[in-house]
Amino acid sequence: MTTYAEKPTMTAGRPAPTPKGRSFVKWITSTDHKTIGYLYLMTSFAWFLIGGVLALALRAELARPGMQFVSNEQYNQIFTMHGTIMLLMFATPLFVGFANVIMPLQIGAADVAFPRLNMLSYWLYFFGSIMAFGGFLSPGGAASFGWTVYAPLSNAQYSPGIGSDLWLIGLAISGVGTILGGVNFITTIFTMRAPGMTMFRMSIFSWNVLLTAILVLLAFPPLAAALLGLEADRLYGTHLFDPANGGVMLFQHLFWFFGHPEVYILALPFFGIATEILPVFSRKPIFGYLGLIAATIAISALSVSVWAHHMFASGQVLLPFFSFMTFLIGVPTGVKFFNWIGTMWRGHVTFETPMLWVMGFLITFLFGGLTGIILASPPLDFAVSASYFVVAHFHYVLFGTVVFAMFGGFYFWWPKMTGRMLNETLGKIHFWTLFFGFHLTFLIQHWLGIKGFPRRYADYLPTDGFTFMNTVSTIGSFLLALSMIPFAINIWITRKAPLVGVDDPWGYGSSLEWATSCPPPRHNFLSMPRISSERPAFDLHYPHVKTEGHN
Amino acid sequence: MKASWKLFGGLSVFYVLMTVIYWQVGGEEVGIAGMLLSACLAGMVGFYVWFTQKRIGVTLPEDNLTAEISDGAGELGFYSPHSWWPLPVAMSACVFALGLVIGWWLSLIGLGALVISIIGMVTEYEKPETVSAH
Amino acid sequence: MSRRNRLTRLSRLKPLLPLAPLALLTGCSKVSGLGFEEGVTSVNDQSLSLWQGAWIAAGVVGVFTLILIVWPAIFHRGKKDDPSFPKQTQYNVPVEVAYTVIPFIIVAVLFYYTAQKQTIITEKTTTYAHEITVEGIQWSWQFGYPEAGPKAVVTGTPEQTPTLVVPLGERVRYTLTANDVVHGFWIPAFMIQMQNLPGVTNYLEFTANKLGEFPGRCNILCGRNHSQMLFTVKVVTPAEYDAYLETIKGGQA
Repeated sequence: MTTYAEKPTMTAGRPAPTPKGRSFVKWITSTDHKTIGYLYLMTSFAWFLIGGVLALALRAELARPGMQFVSNEQYNQIFTMHGTIMLLMFATPLFVGFANVIMPLQIGAADVAFPRLNMLSYWLYFFGSIMAFGGFLSPGGAASFGWTVYAPLSNAQYSPGIGSDLWLIGLAISGVGTILGGVNFITTIFTMRAPGMTMFRMSIFSWNVLLTAILVLLAFPPLAAALLGLEADRLYGTHLFDPANGGVMLFQHLFWFFGHPEVYILALPFFGIATEILPVFSRKPIFGYLGLIAATIAISALSVSVWAHHMFASGQVLLPFFSFMTFLIGVPTGVKFFNWIGTMWRGHVTFETPMLWVMGFLITFLFGGLTGIILASPPLDFAVSASYFVVAHFHYVLFGTVVFAMFGGFYFWWPKMTGRMLNETLGKIHFWTLFFGFHLTFLIQHWLGIKGFPRRYADYLPTDGFTFMNTVSTIGSFLLALSMIPFAINIWITRKAPLVGVDDPWGYGSSLEWATSCPPPRHNFLSMPRISSERPAFDLHYPHVKTEGHN
Repeated sequence: MKASWKLFGGLSVFYVLMTVIYWQVGGEEVGIAGMLLSACLAGMVGFYVWFTQKRIGVTLPEDNLTAEISDGAGELGFYSPHSWWPLPVAMSACVFALGLVIGWWLSLIGLGALVISIIGMVTEYEKPETVSAH
Repeated sequence: MSRRNRLTRLSRLKPLLPLAPLALLTGCSKVSGLGFEEGVTSVNDQSLSLWQGAWIAAGVVGVFTLILIVWPAIFHRGKKDDPSFPKQTQYNVPVEVAYTVIPFIIVAVLFYYTAQKQTIITEKTTTYAHEITVEGIQWSWQFGYPEAGPKAVVTGTPEQTPTLVVPLGERVRYTLTANDVVHGFWIPAFMIQMQNLPGVTNYLEFTANKLGEFPGRCNILCGRNHSQMLFTVKVVTPAEYDAYLETIKGGQA
């Protein structure tokens, strides 16, 4: 079936409702990037909630000294799965979801380059994640060696039990899906842009998808190598990670060679989302578009050469090389902040819900980024590495970026995806509750780490002086959890809200997705405006407004 | 396509540079191998895009600063309308992997199913063009 | 007061803001250590000033950037139904160059001090006064004092955590090993940690300069009782240290 521009087939009156079964089949055999994207978004959000419940279990246990709810071993399983779920079953697939829904629209493509491969990636993620989580149902429980899975703790001797094996193969399968997704996105961006959509007119979100996909190709194969090598040691008695063969450091290097680009895989797409929202609600173009792209390219390049800053305390890595590269990568990240500020500066800024979320991201990520600069210095890292200071740091950067930008993206693109708006008041309640809950949970953890509380500890003594801080953090975590309720209510009560009917309900959208209907037709565009800048939808709606600059 | 091969080429050169620096300041095998292989991957993609652009010769509509949407008019390509095949491919891959843990017999079943479903997916739209007579 | 006047008056205060974090330094020494104490070990002598300096730099940059983020949110608000557009500034090369170069200078300074101090902290000498072996085991510590002979080994358990006895003012080399899984040898008050890696021998040298007892904890996940892998560091006078070595010559008491 070749594709020309589709004729819309409108019939008078309400169409007959589709039987549920037929709807279900339509979803699971879909090759539409939008549908596949929605599947990714919904599945990853479900994992976010599951990972969140696990976090509540951890915080409930830590609120007071003594083990009240779970055993030591169960605690280790819970934080292992919490980290694994949040990083690999929530945040990474969330990027794939947003990229799937939005990127082809932004570049003016009819779909992605390999639509069936796209769906294959989703199923690999879906079943792989379930396999990894399935360890909870095994007699020995789920994997309990931390998401960092260091050898030899993760080998057959120290972590017997099928739960660990399920974790390893489940993630290997899911990782293959992610790699295929990376291939799909790069190919789509290279070969399926609309006429006039040059690389340097492409939206920042799409640029970030491209660079993230490149990082995926570079990072996930070493992870697969590490996981499958470890599984070979466990199942077939190989000695790849045997301490006698230097296997301990080999594993750490392999893992973190993946692990560091992974955190940029998690950050870059969501930086992209924030960059899409800011100009719309400032009524100004992105400030320093080319500089932003240059900074993102610099981050992608450098992220492959900083991995051992996660290993400073091992005593076995080149401290000057890695601390220098780590300090260096802070510069382009900082530059992006000023691009974002510059976008708002002297604009006509309004605070509809998506913009509120971006504010939350900016403030939270600022703090997390600064603690990252502290950790980039080995002498300072020696003081607080593997303590709650690091836990606080990475929650500030990851949650601050991924979760705040995710909700910003949801509220912003909800009308594009569903044709209806979410409720603004509930959105604001959702934001403020989450913002306060998050900071109440994690700000005090910096101090907890400085005072000497290690990460991954299930318990502490009443005499340690950690009790008050842990209790405060736990209260914050429950407030954070409660913030999901206004969001759930919002989705429910707006499911039958009036359709927006226009291409751009927010009014000042720049990128191409705001030049097609809400939601878009099956192959995205019935007609497309001429593309002569990086703001095609804005140029279409406001042709008289010209951009300016200062050399 | 110029921006595309320059991006990958640039990354490749940077990774080579990093590999050499890391090696010279006393780095270790994993990092050297990892960065070198990253350079090779980026270089391979960059080379392919450069090579393809050279073969095409002309500027494609998407790289043309003054293009009109009508420049891309006509057949966009074949888009699969829907497909059952991704699901069995993924499921058989999982059964194969699960068999590594549970037992080789399961892996064998998974491998068979995987081969069949991959062939099914790849040949899904390769139906011979039958013209009238039987 | 018109909006413009208010803005001009407020913006005149901006240059003073970088000085605000200095107020932290006027507090008592415990506060200005920002969680750590001066002079506890030779490591603190190096790291504490870097810690304070880095936080001041982070504070200045953070407050400055935070103000820049919040400023447009307050002073550059648009009215919802306003049909006009603000100046559509897309780039400003001098500003962009400035905010690339200045952060680069800041991290360069931080790196300079970092490189200097980490070289001193990780230095391996031949002039250390004592050697203590630290073996991490699931789930406690084994401290060996080779000076007192091969039997001078103290082994702890999660229920009875061991004490690491260290002489005041004398440089000690710690030899870190592990036979099972990776452990983390961390003494928070000393601003120092290093991993115990199976198949690898790690060396750490420093001088303890304050008498007292300080908690130590394993901080690399090592299995079920990771949270109970605690120890205490007891810094004693050299005379007391020699006396202690005598008592464990024949093995753990």
